[in-house]
Amino acid sequence: MTGAAACLAGFEGITVIIHGSSGCYYYPATLLHAPLRGTFIVEEDVIFGSERRLLEVIDEVSSSGTRIAVVTTCVPSILGEDIRAMLAAHDVILVDSPGFSGDFEQGYRHALRALTPLINPETNGINIDGVSLFDPFSRGNIQELSRLLLNANVPVATIFSMDKFARVRQASPYTITTNEDIAGNVGTALGSTLGLDALKTTFETIGSVIQGADTEPVIREIEREEERINHACDKYLRRFNPPRAAIFGSPSYAVFAANSLVTYLDAEITCIGSRTSVIPVVPYVVKQADGLTQVQEMIKRHEPDLVIGSSFERSVMPAAAFVGLTPPLQGQVRLTSRPVAGIFGTLSFMEDVLNACMDRRR
Amino acid sequence: MSSNPLPSNTSRLGGCTLTGALSVTTSVSDSISIVHGPKGCSHHNFSLLHTIALENNRLNLPSVYSSGLLESEIIFGGEAALERAIAACASSSPKCIFVLSTCVAETIGDDVFSVCSMDWGVPVIPVPTAGFLGGAFQNGVLNALSTLSDGVSPGSPDGTVNIIGEKNLEFEVEENYTEVLRLLSALGLSVNLRFIHQISYDEIPQLARASFNVLRDKEVVPLGDHLKARFGMPYLESFPVGLAGTLRFLEMAADTCGVSYHAAVQDERAVQEELLADFSDLSGARIVLPPDGVSAGDGAVIREVVTALGMKIADSGLCVPMPLSPPVGTSGIRRMLHRWRRMIRA
Repeated sequence: MTGAAACLAGFEGITVIIHGSSGCYYYPATLLHAPLRGTFIVEEDVIFGSERRLLEVIDEVSSSGTRIAVVTTCVPSILGEDIRAMLAAHDVILVDSPGFSGDFEQGYRHALRALTPLINPETNGINIDGVSLFDPFSRGNIQELSRLLLNANVPVATIFSMDKFARVRQASPYTITTNEDIAGNVGTALGSTLGLDALKTTFETIGSVIQGADTEPVIREIEREEERINHACDKYLRRFNPPRAAIFGSPSYAVFAANSLVTYLDAEITCIGSRTSVIPVVPYVVKQADGLTQVQEMIKRHEPDLVIGSSFERSVMPAAAFVGLTPPLQGQVRLTSRPVAGIFGTLSFMEDVLNACMDRRR
Repeated sequence: MSSNPLPSNTSRLGGCTLTGALSVTTSVSDSISIVHGPKGCSHHNFSLLHTIALENNRLNLPSVYSSGLLESEIIFGGEAALERAIAACASSSPKCIFVLSTCVAETIGDDVFSVCSMDWGVPVIPVPTAGFLGGAFQNGVLNALSTLSDGVSPGSPDGTVNIIGEKNLEFEVEENYTEVLRLLSALGLSVNLRFIHQISYDEIPQLARASFNVLRDKEVVPLGDHLKARFGMPYLESFPVGLAGTLRFLEMAADTCGVSYHAAVQDERAVQEELLADFSDLSGARIVLPPDGVSAGDGAVIREVVTALGMKIADSGLCVPMPLSPPVGTSGIRRMLHRWRRMIRA
């Protein structure tokens, strides 16, 4: 449900209604910081049926001039009401994505499919996908990739999912991604933007595919900034041993972190805990860790001195150096839009790693 | 609009019993709370509790475990999943296990109480919740507190005070407690137990030792009545609110315990005069109350403070921030006035 809401609420021009109780509503509302609506069903609606309440709320918001999307929660789904039939007379996008039906990524992709994105061959530029309101790095990713595309003389087309709703049906034939775990598969994928190697390959592809693109400035910037990272990491290694890192997150971000640590710091990746059931094929030990018990066991077994993940993992091993990469990132003030993708994404990540490791030794 | 989470739409916005109950049970430090429902229900609450803990400088993670109901359990029943969850938790030998059910478990008709009554080797305590089908957030809080108090035997009053029903998810929970402690200390009174805030399971029986209870606010009155009936404990129905209310709190607490309040009230009056002098620059400032309105408690405090400082409440102009609950004691008013002055100066 939260994944679906994160996708839909990212589009300006869609009003998202959470069909469920207030308790269910508060989670996505507080997490996504988006103006969601809710049916706030109570026991009476469960006993006598929720149709009247759902239609009442749809009537309320229908004057807003936006497209309405309804996301179902657990109880309305279990009750077996024919919600599609209830909504037959209304122009509403229905996403039946109750919490028990899967994880965040599944809900997000389900909602994106329900929006039926369309490619317009006439649309210039490149789509950016993998963007989610749930991800604290999304705004930074958009800013960074927009900057890089601008430097390569390529317009930004549709951003999935943080854009005007009308642009969902006007997507470019080409897409680059900031997070493959929630990639929408709209158009031809030109590559990932996580990590400098992948970024360089992606921009080389852009240079060969997109007419009028000049990717040389971006390629030069990648090479220049990578030298700065190499210099800083080499200096670190003159005094200290490489970190032993445990990484927890969605597979794409986690593998990006592991590759960066190995490439620049010769780090040992003791384990990767995947938040989803997807286990990427990489030269690291990867296990699913979508619960606290698994996280605690992995950290206890491997005793890393660097933990990459969310504030949950930080609390499991507060003595280790910590870098936040995975939501939630609580207990710290974050005002700027930091990226993970692009050049600044890698710079920012490695800067955080070096500072965290050095702070731990002070 | 009733789909908007505005205060005017409160009949449907009471939140989830599960969140309320977890705010209590996870504050028993050596226990585990099992959420019998889909993982999302426990993740949601775990995240919230973790955030509040970090904001109060507590790095430890809330001890929450999910029975992880999936679509198959929704169809065939989830009691076996609950049994697996209890067995897994019991194997780590916690002092006790709380079991809280969700709207999903209630809808599919799982018999949670029956599963909990099996022999697990540790106390397994079901807390009536059932998600939104069991009421709202505050029902969850009261049910959890009531369930925990029911296991306590009567004791002999020793002149101390219990703090009952603190809002554990409140950002200022520690500051509010510190203010009440300061005022009680001024009367020579000490706190016996924070029921329930960051205590161990073995401390719960101490509940019956105190001479009277201070309730966090009027929402806890049903529990105050329950404890009064069981243990004969009188109670004050709220933390101190407002300038005059803080002085009145001192008087009532002293009367209840049979101690003198004159010196403490005189000292507190001096503290309040110093507070008003510190914010005398706000005299004449015009403020606007939030457009969504304020609670009756907030309204009374605001009017009292505005009058005391020579400020004005206007129909339009600068809207000052309000605390989510009325500010507690003189210290709470001071923090509120700092926020007002920042806005007025901006």
